[in-house]
Amino acid sequence: MAARESILRSIREHLVASAPHDVVHAEKGDEQSELTLDIGHPNGDRLSASVGVQNDGARSLIEVFGANLEAVGGHCIVARSEAEVIEALNGIIASLQDSPLRGRTIALSNAPLLERLMARVETRVDEIAVSPSAAELFDYDVGISTAQAAIAETGTLMIDSEAERHRLVSLVPPAHIAIVDAANIRLTLGETLATASQGPELSPTITFITGPSRTADIELTLAIGVHGPQELYVVVNEGPPLTNS
Amino acid sequence: MSHLTTETFDSNARAALVDTQLRGALRNATSLFGKRRLAAARGLENWEDLRTQARAIKDDVLLHLDRYLEEFVSNAEQRGAKVHWARDASEANQIVCDLARQQGVRNVVKSKSMVTEEIHLNDALQASGMEVIETDLGEYIIQLAGEAPSHIIVPAIHKTKGQIAELFTAKLGIEPTDDVDKLTSVARNVLRQRFANADLGISGVNFAVAETGTILILENEGNVRLTTSLPKVHIALMGIEKILPRFVDLDVFLKLLPRSGTGQQLTTYQSLITGTKRRPEDEGPEQLHIVLLDNGRSRMLAHPTTRQALACIRCGACLNACPVYQQIGGHAYGSVYPGPIGAVITPQLIGLGKASQLPYASSLCGACREVCPVKIDIPELLLHLRAEITDRKQEQEQAGGRRQEQAGGRRQEQEAGGSFKKRTGERFAFRLFAAVMTRPRTYEFSVKVGRLLQRSIVRRGKIGRVGGMLAQLAPPLGAWTNARDMRPIAESTFREQWRAGLRDDTDPGSDT
Repeated sequence: MAARESILRSIREHLVASAPHDVVHAEKGDEQSELTLDIGHPNGDRLSASVGVQNDGARSLIEVFGANLEAVGGHCIVARSEAEVIEALNGIIASLQDSPLRGRTIALSNAPLLERLMARVETRVDEIAVSPSAAELFDYDVGISTAQAAIAETGTLMIDSEAERHRLVSLVPPAHIAIVDAANIRLTLGETLATASQGPELSPTITFITGPSRTADIELTLAIGVHGPQELYVVVNEGPPLTNS
Repeated sequence: MSHLTTETFDSNARAALVDTQLRGALRNATSLFGKRRLAAARGLENWEDLRTQARAIKDDVLLHLDRYLEEFVSNAEQRGAKVHWARDASEANQIVCDLARQQGVRNVVKSKSMVTEEIHLNDALQASGMEVIETDLGEYIIQLAGEAPSHIIVPAIHKTKGQIAELFTAKLGIEPTDDVDKLTSVARNVLRQRFANADLGISGVNFAVAETGTILILENEGNVRLTTSLPKVHIALMGIEKILPRFVDLDVFLKLLPRSGTGQQLTTYQSLITGTKRRPEDEGPEQLHIVLLDNGRSRMLAHPTTRQALACIRCGACLNACPVYQQIGGHAYGSVYPGPIGAVITPQLIGLGKASQLPYASSLCGACREVCPVKIDIPELLLHLRAEITDRKQEQEQAGGRRQEQAGGRRQEQEAGGSFKKRTGERFAFRLFAAVMTRPRTYEFSVKVGRLLQRSIVRRGKIGRVGGMLAQLAPPLGAWTNARDMRPIAESTFREQWRAGLRDDTDPGSDT
C-alpha cells in the first residue's frame, strides 16, 4: 500500500508542477499540449474506414476476409452448407496427411458441433480426442475449433474463452482448423472490438489470430510455425449458422 | 557486448562503426522496416488522423494518470487479478521473486518484455534460484549468447544465421546448419519442453484498459499465448504509462502499433486478458498478477515536453528512421531503450548525469518525429535535455573548487548521477559564433578572413578528405572534417552579390 500511495502522490505532485508549463504551451498554441482534449470516438465514421483489401461493394465480406487471410499465409475455404463444411474438413485433413505435418491425430475443442461433424468425415485418422489436457495436447497433429467472429479487413479470427475450450487447441498442434459462420464476419477491427465488449462482462481471454505463427528473428528471414501452428485453415460457413447452436 | 554502458556512448559508437557485419545487418533491417512501415501507413487513408487521435488519447491518459490507474486497478481486481505497485526496479523484482517463492516456482518462461529488461528481472530471479527462459526466438538467441537486445522489435538483429547456428551447436548440441527453418524448429522443440515444465509465466503488457481492467499483449510467434496460458501463475509487468481509457481506444492503437513496428496490418496474435478464469476447469492460469512500475516515470509528468516520452508505444519506428541508429545499432546506446526514443527516455529514467551523451546522439534531423505514431516531438525533447545538461554543468562548474572540500558536494554529484564531460572549448566556440552572427560588420569581416585562410585547404570545392588528399582543418576544428566534408565559404556571398546588383530576374512563368 505504501508504494501505491507514494506512486499516486508522485504522479499528482508532478502533474501539479507541470501545470504552469502546460499553460505556457497552451498559450503558444502548441497543439500537443492543449489542456482541453477533444478525443472524439475512435469508432466514428471517419476512423472506421476499411483497410487492406478494400470492400468495394463488389466483393463480399467473405471474399475480403479470404484475400486478407491468404495474404498472411492462411487458407480460406468457403462452404455453403453443413455437408460442404464436412467436405472441407475431409479435404484439409487428407492434404495434411500428405504433408510432413501428418494429420493423423486430431484434438477438438469442446464445441459439440465438432464431434458431430468429425463423425461424418471420411478420411481415416488414428485418433480424435475432445479437449485433451494441456500436457497431452503437445502430441496431437491437428487442432480444430470454431471461431466466434472474424475481421474481413485483416483476415483475423476472434476466439472467446467463454464460448469453448480452444485456447490451446488453436495454439499447440502444428495445424489449426477453425470454422466460422459467415454471419459473424465483420468488416473492421473496430466493429469486432465493439461486438466483443457488448456483454455485461468481457470474457477472461479474447484472442485475435491473423494467419499462422511467424517470426523473422533470424536475419529477417520469415519462418512459419515457430511456437504456434504452421498451418491455419479457416472454413467459412455460408450456410445456416452452425457455431451458435 | 552486454557490458556497454550509457556513460561510454562515444567509444561504443566508434566501435560499432567499424563493425561492417553489424552495419550491414542494420542497413537491411532498418531499410526493410522503414519501407514496410511507409507502405502500411499509406494503406490507411486516415493515418494522420489516427496519429493525432492516438496522441490526444495518450495526453488525456497522462494528464489524469492517477485516476485512470485507480480505475484500471479496481476493474482488474474485481475480475480476479491481483495488482502490485512498484516504485522502482528493486521493488518490482522483490514483488516478482516473492510471488515466485510463495508458489514454489522452479521454472519460469518469459515472453519479450522491455520493462523486465529495464529492471533486470532475470538476474533477480536467477539469484533467487529460479531458472528463467526467454521464449521469443530473438530473445532466446541472445539469452543463450549472454548478450543484450539491440533492437526493440528484432532483438538479435546483430547476429548472422551463421553465428546463431554456431551458438546452437555449442549450447544445444545440434548439427551445424545455416537453414533458418531448421534453426527455428530446433528452438521450437527445445522451448516446448520448457513450456511443458514451467510453473510461472512472465509477460509484458502493450496496453492496459482502465474501463475494463484488460491487459493486451501483441506478438507474432505464439510464445506470449503459451506463456500466458500454460503455467498456473501469470505475472504481467507494465510501466504505469501503458493505460488507455476505454476498450474501444484499442482500435486506434492496434492500427498504429503493428504498422509502425513491422508494417503488418495486425500482428499474428493479440491476447486480451481480463482477470482470471471463471471456473476451475477452464483453460489458463489460476492466478494473474499485474505489477505496475514507476521507476522514474512519474517524474517525467512534471513538464509537457518530458511528459511526451510517456506516450511511447515501443514500436521501434524511430530506431529504423534514425540515421544515427542506422549506423551504430542498439548496443552502443548502452541502455535497454536504444535509438531516438532511448536517447530521451534513458537519461530521464537513470539520471541525466549517467547518460549525458545520449541526448547528443542525434543530428536533430527530425526523421523520428516524422514516423512516430503518437507524434512525440523527439528533437524538442533532445534539445530540452541538452539544455538541462548544460544548466547542470554550469551549476557544477560554479560550485567548482569550493565544493570538493564540502561534505555536501559529494551528495550533489551523486544526485546528478555522476559528472558531466566538460565542454569549455565548445562553449567558447558557440559564444564566438553568436558574437559574429549578431554583428553584421564582424560577420562580413570574418567571411573575408575565412576566405583567405581556407585557400590552402580547399580541394575540389570541399574541405575534408577529398579523393585521398588531406584537406583538413587544424585541430580542434579538424575533429569535424576528420569524418565529414565541409562546404567552403563561397567565392562571393549573397550580400556581396546583392550589393553588386543581383536581382530576381527569373520569370515565374517560364521555369523550364
